[in-house]
Amino acid sequence: MTSSCRQIVPLLEAFGDEELAPDMLLEVEQHLVDCTTCTERVRLNHALHLSVRSAVRNSAPVMPAFEERIAAALRAEAAREEVVDGVVEREAQHHHMLSWRSVVPVAAAAAATLVWAASTSNQQALARDKSPYTQAENADQLLEELVDHHVNAGGPQVTKPELLSQLEPQVGVPLSLPSLRDYGARWEGGSVVPVSNQHAASLRYMMGGHHVTLYVYNSSRVPIETRLKQRVVRNEEVYVGSRRGVSIAATEHRGVGYAIATDLNDDESAELVAAVY
Amino acid sequence: MTRKATISAREFESEAISQLSALLGVASRLTRNNADAQDLVQDTLLKAMRARDQFEAGTNMRAWLLRILTNTFINRYRRGGLERSVLDGPDADPLADGWISASTMESMRDPESQALRPMLEQEIKRALDELPEEFRLAVVLSDVEELSYKEIADIMGCPIGTVMSRLHRGRRLLKGRLYEHARALGIVGPEALVGDISEKQEPVVDLASYREKRVARS
Repeated sequence: MTSSCRQIVPLLEAFGDEELAPDMLLEVEQHLVDCTTCTERVRLNHALHLSVRSAVRNSAPVMPAFEERIAAALRAEAAREEVVDGVVEREAQHHHMLSWRSVVPVAAAAAATLVWAASTSNQQALARDKSPYTQAENADQLLEELVDHHVNAGGPQVTKPELLSQLEPQVGVPLSLPSLRDYGARWEGGSVVPVSNQHAASLRYMMGGHHVTLYVYNSSRVPIETRLKQRVVRNEEVYVGSRRGVSIAATEHRGVGYAIATDLNDDESAELVAAVY
Repeated sequence: MTRKATISAREFESEAISQLSALLGVASRLTRNNADAQDLVQDTLLKAMRARDQFEAGTNMRAWLLRILTNTFINRYRRGGLERSVLDGPDADPLADGWISASTMESMRDPESQALRPMLEQEIKRALDELPEEFRLAVVLSDVEELSYKEIADIMGCPIGTVMSRLHRGRRLLKGRLYEHARALGIVGPEALVGDISEKQEPVVDLASYREKRVARS
């Protein structure tokens, strides 16, 4: 290696990445005219660059089913946003009217100031309360709907485990079938059900004469656990509660929510949901 | 000057779908598992959609999404942060730029495709997966996504000099692995070393200081 190469070699990667300043670029280009070894270094770097790109792009092609799954998840999120915005807007109007009524007796000039102040204050309070308020509302609604679907279950859309993946684009999360055989549960089939402006997979099991419904959904959209009590089962964090005589137990794993609805007791439903992934 | 303007959900969906290939490619090399990669991309896009009012119009949407993807990966899939165990140790250096011959380097290339020879190319994915995560991410963001050093630094949350160092060390490990593979396949023969191994080159970590030294020398 010549002394000239020693100065140039440290610059060759930045040269290949097109990150060199013009003065240094000129210096490297002049060196490459006369140095076959450094020219070969540049070519090898370029070859590595092309091969890495090709290897990575070929290793993870985007399949149509995945694209559909992402599109469905984004549309469901957009629908959720619209619902949340609608609730907040109605609440804003409600608070605004109360403020107006409270300042009617006040003189006109002062009233204008007070209305402006009250309105601003209410908007700030609403902004602070927006998230927990809507989460709690949505969680209540979701629990009611989960119980409804459990009690009034229709016929399954699919009855073969290998067909469950057909439901993924609508549900927006990966679906695999927990066997629950250790608990004597037998799978009967699966469907997609609408809950809180999104879709969940409803997997029906029969377990010793009891119907068990396992819902699988995107847990980030509706935090169901806000209305349930936390407990730990086999080191797993689960949330348990009852609605209209139906026990609900929920847990979450890597963004996927799992909720069991059953007429078993809370301990049993908590045990079941801790075993689903 | 950048400005923040919330794009509609429909516009975001359209933009996100057009970036799926890039996101999935990077996610698959980070997680080394297709199912986890798909989950990571979905988590990333849902987060990005909720935070789209933070996106600065006129900037690189792909780089913004990749930053969210990287943070999501670190927070969710690797709660301990990126692996650092190898960073302070010696690089495996069967090949250092300064001491293999031009003919050996030429033998590793395919003159038609300008890439590496196909037999070496098959080894690349495995070699990439074995790189420390910080090196692997830097190499993928540069060589696959063709992001600038500045954009990579923003995504990885480190100075540009660190990006250059990680790129250099990642690529050197890759070349070393491929060189050994080429030797095993008989593509290149035992190397007659050119120069002194002890003269291994240090990467340029600061182009500005290099320029100052060069001016001082002249």
